[in-house]
Amino acid sequence: MLPVPTSHSPALGPGCAGPSLAYASASTRSDIAPPSAQQPCCGSEPFMVDPSAAAGLGLRRHTDTPYVTGTSVLGITYKDGVMLAADTLGSYGSTKRYKSFERLAKVNDATVLGAGGELSDFQYIQTLLDELATEDYCADDGMQLTPREVYAYLSRVLYNRRNKFDPLWNSLVVGGLEGGVPFLGTVGMIGVHYTDKHIATGFGQMLARPLFRERHRPDMSEEEATELLHDALRVCYYRDKQTTNKFQIAKVTAEGVSVSEAFALETQWGYQAFVNPAANALGTW
Amino acid sequence: MSGIGTGYDLSTSTFSPDGRVFQTDYAQKAVDNSGTVVGIVCNDGVVLGVEKPIVSKMLVEGSNRRAYAVDRHAGVAVAGVAADGRQIVNRAVQEAVSYKNLYGDAIPGRVLADRLASYVHLFSLYWYSRPYGTASLLAVYDDDGPQLYLIEPSGAGHRFFGTAVGKGRQAAKTEIERLKLHEISCEQGINEVAKILHSVHDEEKPFEMELAWICEASGREFKRVPAELAAAAERQAKAALADSDMED
Amino acid sequence: MAYQMATPAHSAHGAPRAHPSWSPYDNNGGTCVAVAGQDYCVVAASTRMSTGFSILKRDSSLFLQLSDQLVIVTAGFQADSRTLHKTLQTRYVQYQFAHRRPMSVGAMAQLLGNTLYYKRFFPYYTFNLCAGLDAEGKGAVYTYDAVGSHERVGFSCQGSGKDLIQPVLDNQLKAASPLVLPPEEWMTSLPLAEAVDLVKDAFVSAGERDIYTGDAVEILIITKEGTRKEVIPLKKD
Repeated sequence: MLPVPTSHSPALGPGCAGPSLAYASASTRSDIAPPSAQQPCCGSEPFMVDPSAAAGLGLRRHTDTPYVTGTSVLGITYKDGVMLAADTLGSYGSTKRYKSFERLAKVNDATVLGAGGELSDFQYIQTLLDELATEDYCADDGMQLTPREVYAYLSRVLYNRRNKFDPLWNSLVVGGLEGGVPFLGTVGMIGVHYTDKHIATGFGQMLARPLFRERHRPDMSEEEATELLHDALRVCYYRDKQTTNKFQIAKVTAEGVSVSEAFALETQWGYQAFVNPAANALGTW
Repeated sequence: MSGIGTGYDLSTSTFSPDGRVFQTDYAQKAVDNSGTVVGIVCNDGVVLGVEKPIVSKMLVEGSNRRAYAVDRHAGVAVAGVAADGRQIVNRAVQEAVSYKNLYGDAIPGRVLADRLASYVHLFSLYWYSRPYGTASLLAVYDDDGPQLYLIEPSGAGHRFFGTAVGKGRQAAKTEIERLKLHEISCEQGINEVAKILHSVHDEEKPFEMELAWICEASGREFKRVPAELAAAAERQAKAALADSDMED
Repeated sequence: MAYQMATPAHSAHGAPRAHPSWSPYDNNGGTCVAVAGQDYCVVAASTRMSTGFSILKRDSSLFLQLSDQLVIVTAGFQADSRTLHKTLQTRYVQYQFAHRRPMSVGAMAQLLGNTLYYKRFFPYYTFNLCAGLDAEGKGAVYTYDAVGSHERVGFSCQGSGKDLIQPVLDNQLKAASPLVLPPEEWMTSLPLAEAVDLVKDAFVSAGERDIYTGDAVEILIITKEGTRKEVIPLKKD
């Protein structure tokens, strides 16, 4: 009968699902040496003390490693607002596990969220934001979270979880329109966050961002912006093996938020070396 | 109330010899003295209407809300002690969130009504607590369609096609019974509710009307009736009232 | 630093890791410099935000400007830096409610030290300077390590370019060694304009060799009249 505390319970801090997290989990591993204050087993070097070791507790392992992951999320501002783009693949290691996983989600009438990294963590983050949105709906005062507020909230949630050594393993991109001005920001799994005119997470930072730096202008038309994203996505598809040719683009404009149907891009594989890989190696027989 | 002064009305943990819990009776009285709250289930949704007496000329319009959304698909209108009503509304919000967390789906109407009733009931079980002086009309639109529930201060919960609580409840209920509820839509429903609230109202005192609905027109979300529609319903209700006065 | 920022290839116990692992820290780079003069303070910081060999953002400010006489500037891990700045901003406002006057540089310097030390066993990976004008109107610069030990100095440099810039400052500002007894004046007598030029030169030079310093440098010039800001572009490579 008693209600479960809401996921963003003020008593527990944002991003903490319930009191159960305060206890050591059953998945404590015994096959490695117990941590000491000098040798934390959280993967970091000796400078800091692992709190679980310092507290004399057994080792807690929550998301110590991601399982089902999404790759890059791209985002650009343009004349009418912002656009985010991502593919729809959920990878299980090198397996294409989920091929139609939507990594772009509407948060409210002025905000979209894109996520890479652990997809279960992303779904958890979606429930957090859904709760906040429902809270705003019930307050019925016409207010909702602005994109900047969503971004600030998520940066605190992810930072607080890294402080608990139990990170939400995501790179998030928040896009939206705030008083007619485009907003685009990103938050990483340890809480690093920044805003910019164009953003790319993961491999996109290497593959898409150079294209953005060359071709992006804040006053791009919708067609130009879409074309730039298509080109960037195509490069990601060619060079990032965790990308599939099934993409979505989300758009925030004065008209509101829309997330496109999934689409595929035209690709070109007819290069000579593909058609005849042995063309340059004649051999002796 | 034959129990007054006999010592059986001091606590919810004591029955009177004839089987009553006087504290819950008194709580019900707080509701009975409140402004009228009406709820009807139409063929496409639920309409809730509240009669709010204006306690001061200096009061800002729209203050002291009585109808609240508790989730996208559910809302509550409260009659009686307003502060107690807030507690019930907050609890309803929590229940809705917790159900969604656990089951990943919106809380069904009967579950929410049941949980709210159990919650209200808790306060009539212990000597150290006082029952809520509030009755709640709960409007929900879920997979089973539109539903209306009433939760009383005693913890009793009922499902209705249409009901009313507060000062004008008797007259209002008579009026509701005359409606062909399954033939009217919520657009017509708000007019009927406005008419009822105006007709049962004691004409001397000014009052503000609060209308909320959940139906196709509101996108199956619990919302306040849009200002233009509410104003139109109010004009139409006043006109109808004037007409009937002429006939009298 | 004895520990590395990048994801370690091996766990703390030496076994090879077959799966991704994480570190709670990152180094987002950036360099900051502060020079205290007789009646001014020059504070400067680069605006590039990096991770590894990537540039994340070219116009990210390292400053927490608390008033027109007091500023904190922070290099290191951006998430910790923002958290620290939020805490200090709040404490700065609370101080004013409680004491009905602006916080002095010395008070903020002590508060910053305490705030860093509070996280002694899970430190903020941040390298700070606290700068402004003291009660006598003289420039004040406090320099810190990550866990809060601090000292008032005549000038200082923190962050990724400190190895390049600090020796130049030592040389050009000709501070008397603190080991000389009886103590000598350690604050530079350089006129303001020359101090600003020195700072600009220092950043241009650091930007040439340090990949984490570049894009632009923001310079705050604090005098009793208030704070003036200049932005000088640096090379973007």
